[in-house]
Amino acid sequence: MFFNSFAFAIFLPIVFVLYWFVFNKNKTTQNTLLIIASYYFYSCWDWRFLFLLVFSTFLDYYTGIRIEKSQKESGRKFWFWLSIGVNLGFLGMFKYYNFFASSFAELMQGFGLKSSPFLLDVVLPVGISFYTFHGLSYVIDIYYKRIKAEYNFVDYSLFVSYFPLLVAGPIERATHLLPEIKVKREFDLEKAKEGIYQMIWGLLKKVVIADTCATYANAIFDNYHSMNSLSLILGAVYFAFQIYGDFSGYSDMALGMSKLFGLDLLRNFNYPYFSRDIAEFWRRWHISLSSWFRDYLYIPLGGSKGGLWVKIRNTFIIFLVSGFWHGANWTYVAWGGINALYFLPLLLRKSNRNNIDIVVLDRNWESVKAIGNILLTFALSCLAWVFFRAKTIADAVSYLKQIVTNGHFTSQYLANERYNYELLIMVLLFVVVEWNNRTKEEPISGKYQSIKLAFCLAAIMALGTYSDYKEFIYFQF
Amino acid sequence: MKQFLGFTIKTIIIIVVLAIILDYCYTSVYLQSNNRNKIEYVYNSKSRNYDVVILGSSRANNHFVTEMFEQKGLKTFNYGMSGGHLFEADLMLKLMLERNYKIKTVILEADLNLSNDKRSETVAAKFLPYIHDSEIIKKHFLNEADFNYLYYLPFYRYVNFDGLIGFREFYKTLSRQPTNVLDKGGYHALGNKKGNMKNNIRALKPLKNKYYEEIKSICVANKINFIAVMTPMCENTKGIDYFDKVKKAYPEIHNYENVVVEDKFFSSCGHMNNAGARIFTARIINDFFTE
Repeated sequence: MFFNSFAFAIFLPIVFVLYWFVFNKNKTTQNTLLIIASYYFYSCWDWRFLFLLVFSTFLDYYTGIRIEKSQKESGRKFWFWLSIGVNLGFLGMFKYYNFFASSFAELMQGFGLKSSPFLLDVVLPVGISFYTFHGLSYVIDIYYKRIKAEYNFVDYSLFVSYFPLLVAGPIERATHLLPEIKVKREFDLEKAKEGIYQMIWGLLKKVVIADTCATYANAIFDNYHSMNSLSLILGAVYFAFQIYGDFSGYSDMALGMSKLFGLDLLRNFNYPYFSRDIAEFWRRWHISLSSWFRDYLYIPLGGSKGGLWVKIRNTFIIFLVSGFWHGANWTYVAWGGINALYFLPLLLRKSNRNNIDIVVLDRNWESVKAIGNILLTFALSCLAWVFFRAKTIADAVSYLKQIVTNGHFTSQYLANERYNYELLIMVLLFVVVEWNNRTKEEPISGKYQSIKLAFCLAAIMALGTYSDYKEFIYFQF
Repeated sequence: MKQFLGFTIKTIIIIVVLAIILDYCYTSVYLQSNNRNKIEYVYNSKSRNYDVVILGSSRANNHFVTEMFEQKGLKTFNYGMSGGHLFEADLMLKLMLERNYKIKTVILEADLNLSNDKRSETVAAKFLPYIHDSEIIKKHFLNEADFNYLYYLPFYRYVNFDGLIGFREFYKTLSRQPTNVLDKGGYHALGNKKGNMKNNIRALKPLKNKYYEEIKSICVANKINFIAVMTPMCENTKGIDYFDKVKKAYPEIHNYENVVVEDKFFSSCGHMNNAGARIFTARIINDFFTE
């Protein structure tokens, strides 16, 4: 049941009505309904994996309490590592086992040793990377005494399995979401309206921008051998907007629908393509994951407090792990590694926190410089996206090599029966709308909201791609 | 909550009004066009006279060389449509007759398409802009599972088939960008392809196809000479006995499957190239139109 499906368009209003009119007596009834809805939502993907979600929830709930109650340090450590081990064990088994087994076999083959690895015939449970990280952050925070363990199982279950964020985030923190869950929500008209606007904007990003860009990006990436330089460059740009529209669109819909239930989720995207350097990009792209790795990996490793080599090591570790989090493929690791390389000069020059504020343009040299930096950062991120999108690292290298060696910058007719340049107007229009609204979460609210709403709805209806249906990319992670 | 209910109703009203406006705009544009595909070429036309009308799928579209019929003095148009099934061929014939076309002979390519009496998703959608304007099209779609959505939900058909009749096609129609579909009397010549030809049609079974039967009876009722033919497949086709099964089920269908066999005359296993199509067409003309 995708957010952009007809089934979800029925499901959401039913849950909304039940939530505010039938189960609105207290926070327990509200939470109970949301858990039932969330488990139903999850079982629509594959009911067999529901046990995994329930088990993971119960494990972290129980170990959290045991960590808090343990008198001795050894006991705390036991329960802590049990939770970490089991959580990462499940993630490793479902997501990474086959990758490691076949990579090991390939390595052995390189040494002349033939081996036929035992591979698991399992599908990746949807959302496992996300709810595992929810649970991990909770247990780690209890272990380091940042939060108290949650004794109410209903409240804790909702924190882990709340349907708007269950399958593709944002990756929530117990410190942020649990306090919201623990009080009865009262209906807030303005928040609900904002939620609707954000959902509509998210849907527009998905069906108009991402899915349309996907048809072009796929046609170019799948046939890159026969593409000229211009098509290859445009392919990377289209993919950049595809993945942005897809994932930030999903996040907007998740945040928006959550507002309908009176719950605020963590913001996941903040106009990343308007970043002036790669450090700023990572503060604006998939914020909940970046901050997760910062708080639970980078800082525990010493962060930027150690010597130069420690900083460099830590930077590479978090980018490589972040890449690997996305999927069991060397292309994701390479993508992470490239971003680490981009980050390195900023780290060495201690300029990685130079661009914190929102870009403000004026008629001066600084503004020209800012635009130049934005374009450069976007170009660098597009280059890295080629590795993210390509099937293998060799394909990505070959793709980039062909941009340089082909040298033809002419229009080209693609496999999707369209010209390579055709989508540029729509992409540019989208950029202009986002630029003019970069201080807000979505562009619909504010002045003339009814007119803007009508334009967005018309765009969704008329310009959306529906027949060439695309799933959300991040569901596979 | 009352205010939110009002807001929700307002949003729904905006959606409905937009859907009606967009539906009206798209439909109006498609009703003006007659040069982008064979369906609108028929739909937005008045009476035409033909000696020969060719109907069927791509195996009609790519196999019957209109020019060769014309050279024989036969006014001909190839209305075969790539990806089309007999559902669409039947509807095309009904629309032609509604527009008072005078047709002497219908040649129907009836072979692989007999195994399917469902609509073609890629071709049938092109009739949908006219579903409110034409009683014939409405009736033809009446038994389709999604008829109520297609007919009663404004703009649904343009959203559901956006790749075929959505914004892109609307824009091209509005800006009167022509296609080459109507060139060469509707015949589309294929070039040569490299590599070995092969196909497997073992899974296909000829049905008692209701649209085939309907085409046949329409021709009888309108005194149109009806010729149904099977057209060639490449040599390396597994399950080629399918054509014998068709002959058994429908003895009146002429089996021309093995008129052209060599790979050099094929573009793909199920589609002859221009050279193959010319050999095949010459044989058809010789057998049916030479006194």
